[in-house]
Amino acid sequence: MTAQHAYNAQRSATAPIIAGRDVRAGGAAGASAITIEGLTKKFPAPGAEQDFVVLHEISLSVDEGKFVSIVGPSGCGKSTLLNVIAGIERYDSGAVAVHPRSDRAAREPRIGYVFQSPRLLNWLTVENNIHFVLEAQNVPRSRWRDLVAKNLEMVGLAGQERNYPLNLSGGMQQRVAIARALAIEPDILLMDEPFSHLDAITARKLRFDLMEILQRAKPTILFVTHDLSEAVFLSDSIYMMSTKPARIFKRVAIDIPRPRRPEDSEIFDLEKTLTRDFFSVVEASG
Amino acid sequence: MAGRLEDIALRVASIAVLLLFWWAAAAAINDSQVLPGPWAVAQTIVQDFGTPGPEGESAFFDIGITLARIFIAFAASMVAGIGIGLAMGLNRACERALLAVIPLMLTMPTILMVFLAIMWFGYSQAGALVAVMAVVTPFVAVNMFEGTRAMDKSLAQMGTTFRASRSLLLRKIYLPQLMPYIFSAFRYAFGQTWKIVALAETFGLKFGIGYMFFFWFQQFNIAQTLAWVMMFVILMLALEHLVFARLESRAFAWRSASSAQGGR
Amino acid sequence: MTFVAAIVAWKAISLFFYPVFFPGPAVLLERMAEVYGNPGSYAIFGQTLARIFEGFVISMLLGTALGLVMGLKRSVEAFFDSWIMVLLTVPSICWAFLSVLWFGISETAPILTIVLIVFPYVSMNIWAGTKAIQRDLVEMGQVYKADRALMLRKVLIPQLMPYIFSSLRIALSLSWKIALVAEAFGVGSGVGQQLTYWFQETRVDMMLAWGVSFMIVMVLIDLLVFRTWARRTFAWRPEVAV
Repeated sequence: MTAQHAYNAQRSATAPIIAGRDVRAGGAAGASAITIEGLTKKFPAPGAEQDFVVLHEISLSVDEGKFVSIVGPSGCGKSTLLNVIAGIERYDSGAVAVHPRSDRAAREPRIGYVFQSPRLLNWLTVENNIHFVLEAQNVPRSRWRDLVAKNLEMVGLAGQERNYPLNLSGGMQQRVAIARALAIEPDILLMDEPFSHLDAITARKLRFDLMEILQRAKPTILFVTHDLSEAVFLSDSIYMMSTKPARIFKRVAIDIPRPRRPEDSEIFDLEKTLTRDFFSVVEASG
Repeated sequence: MAGRLEDIALRVASIAVLLLFWWAAAAAINDSQVLPGPWAVAQTIVQDFGTPGPEGESAFFDIGITLARIFIAFAASMVAGIGIGLAMGLNRACERALLAVIPLMLTMPTILMVFLAIMWFGYSQAGALVAVMAVVTPFVAVNMFEGTRAMDKSLAQMGTTFRASRSLLLRKIYLPQLMPYIFSAFRYAFGQTWKIVALAETFGLKFGIGYMFFFWFQQFNIAQTLAWVMMFVILMLALEHLVFARLESRAFAWRSASSAQGGR
Repeated sequence: MTFVAAIVAWKAISLFFYPVFFPGPAVLLERMAEVYGNPGSYAIFGQTLARIFEGFVISMLLGTALGLVMGLKRSVEAFFDSWIMVLLTVPSICWAFLSVLWFGISETAPILTIVLIVFPYVSMNIWAGTKAIQRDLVEMGQVYKADRALMLRKVLIPQLMPYIFSSLRIALSLSWKIALVAEAFGVGSGVGQQLTYWFQETRVDMMLAWGVSFMIVMVLIDLLVFRTWARRTFAWRPEVAV
């Protein structure tokens, strides 16, 4: 089975909750952007007794406009999960549904993806890198110039259109990757530990900038990281994932209002509580 | 291991198809003076191993001599070529100096090299060696040079910050990145060496596969001519499988996760 | 500096030999002037160039296509690998003789010889290039749903450019040398035939004159076409400085 990309024009029911508190403290039920039920993926392991289970009965949901993180140790299948959602990897059982934004015409959902490394085409200029995905997504050429300008400005790289990626720092390259993902006006944005290869100062700056971008563009984001504090700072809710086999063991809602500052004591306290829970499970499963 | 089986099946199929084409063409032309069929040539080959050649030597001797000439010339050219290419890539002064000379060497046509070697060194082994090196070494050097230009700059910098010695940098950082270039140079260099040795032997070096090829060509014995060509080919293919294929998988083990064909 | 030193060394060695056996720089230049001065020479150059060009173009097209397909599909690689091996192992002289045997004294023989030898090499080189393509960039393209054509244009072929480039240069280089071998042994016209003629007359000076004159023509082509093109295509790449 490949990922089923369903689309519907009506709002769907609120996402099922696995554990933890209810997110919405009032207001209308949000539309679901991503719904996953019982997703399982195995790698055939010739010679071993059983197949190697990469993802085990994963269920989660992401509401429109929300920032949801998956926190787990490296190698627990988080990237695989994103790849399944993006449609480039198959899975064995369960259901995966990705819905386009409810305020747009129904069609195939547009998925933006920011990887751990920028994965830019080094032989193309910054603007041509963005043009590449615009062309891939069949965005009309007349809109290209504005989209490039707007998104580069949003990530703080206005004027870098004609530069080549290898002349940019790692942080700047990653910004281009973010601008590239946003330029297609995605229904959902998948981010796979995008700041883990950057130094702490650059990463912190980029996190702030990401927060600002969220205020303006309000995309739906599924963010994967091994860094709990990063997740707490950025997200509306967190799924905790452990490895061997990869499964979700907890969901937590983060009610702290935005804009958030990393020094906020609320964030710090929440992080302390969650850290205990998180590491006790993760270290136990090894 | 379905993949492996499929591989072998395809290779067998491809050789079978090739032989089929040959057989069909030979049957269509129906003139053994122009194109004898594969069976006739195969029989001739078997014959050759039983009967002594024009100088009373055995076929094994001819093959052996050619192989010896090839390996010596190939080894010398590869070592020289890799050394020079690396030197050019890593040292600006070397690059400037050699960039003046190498294009000249590269553009000298093979036939001219062989003619010159024969005219200056006579019909001798030394002549053949010189001819091969003069042609192959520059090619290998250029390939290596292109390779150094395409290397990942950041990896070399990483090595330097760890105070890696020149030799360590060379072995662990430069060489693995240069492997694809070395490799395509390897295969090409071997092929070229073979051909130049064959050319030199054709001209009058005593003994060897080229010598036999030309001998029979002059006798208008096409079956024998093709027989000796086939012997070249089979020998080379055997070498390819036993030597190069093994080397390649060892050299490129680190790349299996990221090739374009992918595993899926 | 090295160049001047080389010339001086050359002159010194040539003093020990007869000019027709080991010509010094001055003698060689004289003979070359004779070659360039004779209008008939250009017709001969033209014959050889035409054969080279045809052989080269066909080889590049066939070779790149095959190399690409071999690199991207394992089954194709397994099948054609042996054919290419066979083609690569037959010495040029064999093809030269066999082509003449089968196609007679014609334009086909040298062109066929060139193609049979050069296109397998190009295939191998391009195939090696496909093996070096970075999977993570291909994945990025797939995630953004780039179609085959777009992937080829923007992701695959640019990564192959260094290989295409070195293939082009070496293919051209090979093509003209093989053209000379083919002409030397079968065709009865062209620069290759001149080389054989002067070889048989044991006139190293004339043989070198023709050889070097033609070499210069090919070098000019290489300089004009490839140097400028390389600089433009690879502008995005920083040097590996030492």
